[in-house]
Amino acid sequence: MSKRGAEGFLLLGFLGIGLTLGLALLKAPSVSINAFQSPDAQRIFYWHVPAAWAAFIAFGFLFVGSAMWFFKRSKLGWRMHVAGAEAGLATGLMTVWSGMVWGAAEWGVPWDWTDVRLNTFGLLTFLALFLVLGRQSQPDGVETRDTFSTFGLYGFVLVPVTYVATRLWQIRHPGPVVGGGDGGSLAGEMAVILVIGAISFTIFIIGHILMSMRITSLEQRLERIQKTMDKV
Amino acid sequence: MTEALLDLNNVTVRRGMKTVLSNLDLQVSSGQVILFNGTNGEGKSTIIETAAGLIPLESGSVLHHGKLLIDEAGRSNKPSRPFGLTLQADGCMGSQRIEEHLLTSMDFTGSRIEMDSILERYNLKHRKHDTIAQLSGGQRRKVAMIAGLLPGFISSDPLLIFLDEPDSGLDQASRTSLIEDVQYLRQKGHGILIASHNNEFEQCATHQFNAEGMTEIPRESTPEIVRDHAPHQPSKAMIALRNGIVYNNRTMATLAFNGIAGLLTLGILLALVEPTKLDSGTIQRSGLILSSAFAAGLVGDSMVQMLHEHRSLAWWKAHRQGIPSSYLHGAVLGFALTLLTQLAMDMPVSWEVTIIGSFLTISTMFIVRMLDLTSSRLARPRAAFTRILTPILILPFALLVQWITDSNLI
Repeated sequence: MSKRGAEGFLLLGFLGIGLTLGLALLKAPSVSINAFQSPDAQRIFYWHVPAAWAAFIAFGFLFVGSAMWFFKRSKLGWRMHVAGAEAGLATGLMTVWSGMVWGAAEWGVPWDWTDVRLNTFGLLTFLALFLVLGRQSQPDGVETRDTFSTFGLYGFVLVPVTYVATRLWQIRHPGPVVGGGDGGSLAGEMAVILVIGAISFTIFIIGHILMSMRITSLEQRLERIQKTMDKV
Repeated sequence: MTEALLDLNNVTVRRGMKTVLSNLDLQVSSGQVILFNGTNGEGKSTIIETAAGLIPLESGSVLHHGKLLIDEAGRSNKPSRPFGLTLQADGCMGSQRIEEHLLTSMDFTGSRIEMDSILERYNLKHRKHDTIAQLSGGQRRKVAMIAGLLPGFISSDPLLIFLDEPDSGLDQASRTSLIEDVQYLRQKGHGILIASHNNEFEQCATHQFNAEGMTEIPRESTPEIVRDHAPHQPSKAMIALRNGIVYNNRTMATLAFNGIAGLLTLGILLALVEPTKLDSGTIQRSGLILSSAFAAGLVGDSMVQMLHEHRSLAWWKAHRQGIPSSYLHGAVLGFALTLLTQLAMDMPVSWEVTIIGSFLTISTMFIVRMLDLTSSRLARPRAAFTRILTPILILPFALLVQWITDSNLI
């Protein structure tokens, strides 16, 4: 892939996300006022769900990268870990923030500390924040990589817990719209806009990860050059 | 051939981005004193810490007395026999008394001896009851060095003794005593590793090890050093728990950190909420009662913070006999805060909820402590932002409050 591939994916992703927003606000059908407290706020759904989808891709990337570093000492694995954490933080915050706005309108409260889905997803985002800030505060080395990879591996346990949380302990958050059985299916225009959103966010997250991996690679190259210059 | 006390097999170790040891093989037998006297950055301290099982291996394994201590797969076992350890950074914290640190070092071996004669040799007897924080750097070094030697004085069976720069900052008289003590321990059959630039150790070493490899130091037979056999006394059990209680009693760290957080939370809640207006049996009322105990636990275990001083945590971890904690003080604090909250809110006291408050503080403290210990290997463990992960504890707290409310415990 050319060096500008990441920028291409990011640009395409942004355009798709913009299109999704436009369709969500202008074209998506209105929902029943009987089913929702705040029907207009439901349009946030077209941003919220694809962002969560992209976040799970990023957390999956983080897990694979953590495992590759921890068990194989793979440099590519470490770059995947870093990229997964950064992309997970970005999309996790998008999901949490949009969810809080929607929750405030629909439930009357932006957050519910007793809802397992909200809290496990929130923790995944905090984990990504911890990994991003933590890495920046530590000198690069095997100790840093081992420790943060350990957190990355354990943190991934939360992904399946988050997914099944609404089935096992549904309190406020609705069930899954993908693979959620009879009660969770969408139809017509709603599904089309949601698919456009999911594809756009997927393209965006691929671009984000590629960009992040390239930056980490450049950082490592810079460090090698600096160490060579130290010896002169 | 005698069994090797220490066996480093094909050991590779990385620190930072550098491979410090590459496929190193090293065996130490009874009565051998290996002096590592290479240049700076050659890996002397890394060998000592690897041999003590403190550094994860990229490849190979470390065996003590023929039994696996650590290996490349991450397996880590308790050493089959205790060992003496002096870290380059001393490994003792300022709040300990000198005798406490030395008694702990002896307790790891399972028995104690009278220590006054040893302290007298190093001119520390008059300081025995002082805290380590009151000592000069050189005196603190002596304490760390004696703690490393003591298991060898106690045990009649061959043990391993690891000394990393034991003479750093020591005066000439103490260095002379140290060399004599190492000779004595060698004659007792212990295997000793010393990292030092000081060539005086060639007087007591049997081998030296540097970039060129291991070479034997030729020596004439040395006269046997005779020491009075001090009577042995039994050691005290529950070393980590006992030390945690002692340090906490002395420093009041749990009260100062966790207690203040709990009291501040209680004070803020009392300022914001009119307790009499809360209906009994509501989730808000249950949450208020447990909030201060929960806040106290969220601060974590102050003992872990204190143990970062002079790498004391690494010294405790190496011995693999537990790490001092604040659980007992945390339990008392959680109980007291929950009780105080109920009294301050003019509610009838529920002893079940008060005990739950106690468990809430120590379980919260336990999880935060685990996060802190997991990040302790980092170059800057205090800059690791582990507290970012503590919001996950709000969910179980909320579920607990919900359960208490539903169970009509209040």
